[in-house]
Amino acid sequence: MKKIFFLLLLLVIFLPAAAIEPGRGLTEVPGHPQAPAFTLKDLDDETHKLADYRGKVLIVNFWATWCPPCRAEMPSMERAWKKIKGEGIVILGINVGEDVDTVFPFTGDYPVTFPLLLDQESAVEGPWGVIGLPTTFVVDPHGRIVYRAVGAREWDDPELLAKVRALKKKKSD
Amino acid sequence: MPSESVRSRAGLLLLVSCLAGSARAGVSMEVGPNTGLKSWTWRHDGVSLKLVQRLPDQTRAYLLARGFSREAADMVARNCLFGSMFRNDGDQPLDFDLDDWQVLHEGEVGRLVTRQRWKERLSSMSVSKAGRIAFNWSLLPPRQHFEPGDYNWGMTSYGLPPGSRFDLELRITLGGKPLVARIPGMECAPEKLPEKEK
Repeated sequence: MKKIFFLLLLLVIFLPAAAIEPGRGLTEVPGHPQAPAFTLKDLDDETHKLADYRGKVLIVNFWATWCPPCRAEMPSMERAWKKIKGEGIVILGINVGEDVDTVFPFTGDYPVTFPLLLDQESAVEGPWGVIGLPTTFVVDPHGRIVYRAVGAREWDDPELLAKVRALKKKKSD
Repeated sequence: MPSESVRSRAGLLLLVSCLAGSARAGVSMEVGPNTGLKSWTWRHDGVSLKLVQRLPDQTRAYLLARGFSREAADMVARNCLFGSMFRNDGDQPLDFDLDDWQVLHEGEVGRLVTRQRWKERLSSMSVSKAGRIAFNWSLLPPRQHFEPGDYNWGMTSYGLPPGSRFDLELRITLGGKPLVARIPGMECAPEKLPEKEK
């Protein structure tokens, strides 16, 4: 019986994560709408407001621990963070609907050093227009949503990062 | 370790699947050599939809771990769920609305059980708030727009008992033009997979 349960558990955990091919590119969001405000706590109980990041380029990633493509893109997001940290570009991972007791152990398997925020009530995704996970937005220093990616990406891809960095250069627009 | 005969049978199934797939342009079926689960893939101009059977016990385990009561988890698990991977690797935008799709089963036309329908069905059942949120997000969104390069994964639910056979008629809009396609001979996962030969 234990053996069957173990095999089922392996199926649940690993089958969906097998061979996930990332999507490609960033789609420009028409009209560059203003990013909806949020106030969320991170795993250390620190409060983060969208307004705190005005003047920086933001990569806002909506994700969950049970979502295989979300897990698949986390390592590339961490690699990207190591490359862009200190350039006025910030990555925020907004977890959808889970608590700190679920997300914290996840960081043991997927170590990330950028802030992971908790939206336990799943209240932020609606205003941002998120209907599937993962969905990621790139916000310019004026707080406008410039790009969107539906599905996982290789976030440390130089071409993709060049688009993100270019927004920083356009700060004075 | 699977026996020689099991491996031979899996290989034969895969071969038959590929041949069957090529005969029905755009659709292929395969059997996971390690899992025994069947999957169907529809492809058209860089767009692909892969539907992988989910055993009811897989779904029960997922939901019970997220605060579903046994009754609620069992009700969902016995509704024919597939893991669904929908990708737009083509060069045109894609839109879909699962409410337009048809489940053709024994002469009847049915609909997918999408997020809103599940919300209604589960409204009076014992499910934690976190469980409701996780289940809602883990279902493929009923409507979505994919630019080239976008994709999504999620469960789709067909409202049929385990082991049922059906055809799926899917409708999408690709580059602004409507497209209808059929995936014939799909099978809901059985309650249990047949025992492998020793």
